[in-house]
Amino acid sequence: MKILVVTSGVPFIRGDAEILAGNLLEALSEAGHEAELADIPFKDYPPDRIPDQILACRLLDLTESSGVRIDRIIGLNFPAYLIPHPNKVIWLMHQYRTAYDLWDQPAAGGLMHCPDGPLIRETIRRADRELIPEAIAIYAQSQKVSDRLLRYCGIASEPVYHPPENALLFYKCPSADYLFFPGPMNAVSRQWLAIQALSQCRERVRICFAGEPGGRTRQAVRKYKLSDRIEWLGRVSEDRKRDLYAQCLGVLFPPLDVDYGYVTLEAMLSSKPVITCADSGGTLEFVLDRQTGVVAHPTPESLAEAMDTLWADRRCGAAMGEAGRARYRDLHISWANVVEKLLC
Amino acid sequence: MWRSAQGNCRPGPAKLARGRGLRILIATVRVPFVRGGAEVLAEDLRRVLVEAGHQAEIVAIPFKAYPPERILDQMLACRLLDLTETAGRSVDRLIGLKFPAYLIPHPRKVIWMLHQHRQAYELWQHPLNDLHTYANGLDVRSVIHAADMKLLPQSRGLFTISRNVALRLKTSCGLNARPLYPPPRDGGRFHTRPAEDFLYFPSRINRLKRQDLVLKALALTRSQVRICFSGPADDRGFERECADLSRKEGLQERVRWLGAVPEEQKCDLYARCLGVLFPPLDEDYGYITLEAMLAHKAVITCADSGGPLEFVAHRETGVIAEPTAESLATAMDDLWNHRDRTKEWGDAGRQCYSDLRIDWGNVLENLLQ
Repeated sequence: MKILVVTSGVPFIRGDAEILAGNLLEALSEAGHEAELADIPFKDYPPDRIPDQILACRLLDLTESSGVRIDRIIGLNFPAYLIPHPNKVIWLMHQYRTAYDLWDQPAAGGLMHCPDGPLIRETIRRADRELIPEAIAIYAQSQKVSDRLLRYCGIASEPVYHPPENALLFYKCPSADYLFFPGPMNAVSRQWLAIQALSQCRERVRICFAGEPGGRTRQAVRKYKLSDRIEWLGRVSEDRKRDLYAQCLGVLFPPLDVDYGYVTLEAMLSSKPVITCADSGGTLEFVLDRQTGVVAHPTPESLAEAMDTLWADRRCGAAMGEAGRARYRDLHISWANVVEKLLC
Repeated sequence: MWRSAQGNCRPGPAKLARGRGLRILIATVRVPFVRGGAEVLAEDLRRVLVEAGHQAEIVAIPFKAYPPERILDQMLACRLLDLTETAGRSVDRLIGLKFPAYLIPHPRKVIWMLHQHRQAYELWQHPLNDLHTYANGLDVRSVIHAADMKLLPQSRGLFTISRNVALRLKTSCGLNARPLYPPPRDGGRFHTRPAEDFLYFPSRINRLKRQDLVLKALALTRSQVRICFSGPADDRGFERECADLSRKEGLQERVRWLGAVPEEQKCDLYARCLGVLFPPLDEDYGYITLEAMLAHKAVITCADSGGPLEFVAHRETGVIAEPTAESLATAMDDLWNHRDRTKEWGDAGRQCYSDLRIDWGNVLENLLQ
């Protein structure tokens, strides 16, 4: 088949959608298809530029190329997924979240504060409600993204999971004495929560962080006098990261509300239990509490208890890790599966 | 989606970037699944910009030119895009290459035009074009003209890839543009060797390149001229016509069809041939002329070939024939029978290439001034 993967990208920034599109293109050509990327530039400020760019996407014509039919387009993100095509499949990475769940989040930019904000929000929502259903099939990158589409737009979709990069290279070793907290280091990953929890652990738990501490985190470490139980590894190579996964006792991944989260999958591929939080979002689709890890409350006390559990009962941790590996297999997370779904 | 919002409140890195060079976007259009000279040019330009210390990316908008009303939709789509900044950081320069992407607005835009929408200009009512056959063809053409005339002058600089394209722009829209010649890719790999007994015609097999005219000319030559053709067939029907023609004229022994050849073999054919045949109809630019000059070879072209006429000096670096079989046949016999003089023309062509200063440094200097 001739397939176009369509994305909206910000020039000079390699975002998640570009990485995902790159991997998808590779999987499509491996399956014998002729696949290309159409990346339409997107700029979402000032907010009144957003409706312009919705219209621009609607004006493009990807039905044929030089008289030859384009068999399918696969839309990944807003507003590129609105480009019309008789055989369009949407594999939704995310909608324009500022018009939905991030509307009143200060970090998400100024849509709420712009005079036409509510009107533009409604334009985006209407475009999604009316035009997403044009697709012949609608998938989402995770259950969470699918739930959001249903809640806000009343549109049903099926989650289709994809593997992290280099999934085959993850492995496991006998556990050493540390919990691993992989990157990236930002406010959403909540390192400081893990450090507060560490100060309340009964066991002498140790944590290795991939990354450098931010200001708030550094303060917490000083305050609780934990420097001998924490190691900051800085930026680690992909190889080193896989070694750290393989040798750890368990993986700490308590972010605030992520859409998907490769860390969970990488931990499962390394047969390690995952500690996450009840408000972590995408991780909850994979971590089964007390079976493949622990789902704690987002409080230092609850997280500390989970860390103590893994530290004190190594056999239980190892068994949960194995169960996580088995669950990864049972979920059929593979590019072959993604391609089959998107082209059916 | 967050990305841009977060970038908004980070003025620091923009300053840093300015010290490291400009942030430049190259705007072009792309027919999906088709790769041609325009894609190569855009990639080369991006590469040299990056080598010169700039940050450069290509923005390629998908384009479909039929039915005619779709052209208008896509012109509007381009006008609706906003490439002035990305994630809170200014885009210092937009370089527009092709219609309608060169219509994307930007306060610091320069256009380096590969060509306009030719079907609305010099190819209007041409047998190989069908825009005029549509009921709305004329209307669409006038909108394209109006947009070019109104919006092209809004750019800070207007350049074309050849004098031919600049002349067309002057004739059709009354706009002045300066030609800036793009160098052929990896000019250094071209070399020369003693001439062997064949003329070389490297081009895609395509009606506009006129392989058929050359075969008719070959049938009229007095000497036993031989021709080697290379290049993939764009048009299978035309390829068959050419094969039939050479059979009908009994030329099979004197022509070879190599199809698509690797770059290395192409360079070798340039190096060993007696001279190069390049008689297309109104070519925009034509790397082939330049490649022949780099290989010290005389070029036969036609008076209506467009781009090649900017480089071929008649009876100094090659021959400019009339676009008829008779005239081309005379030129081919001439090269075939006067080997020493043909070699002199080839050497003069190489000298001429050096004098033209066709190099990326010159291109960048003008586009970024």
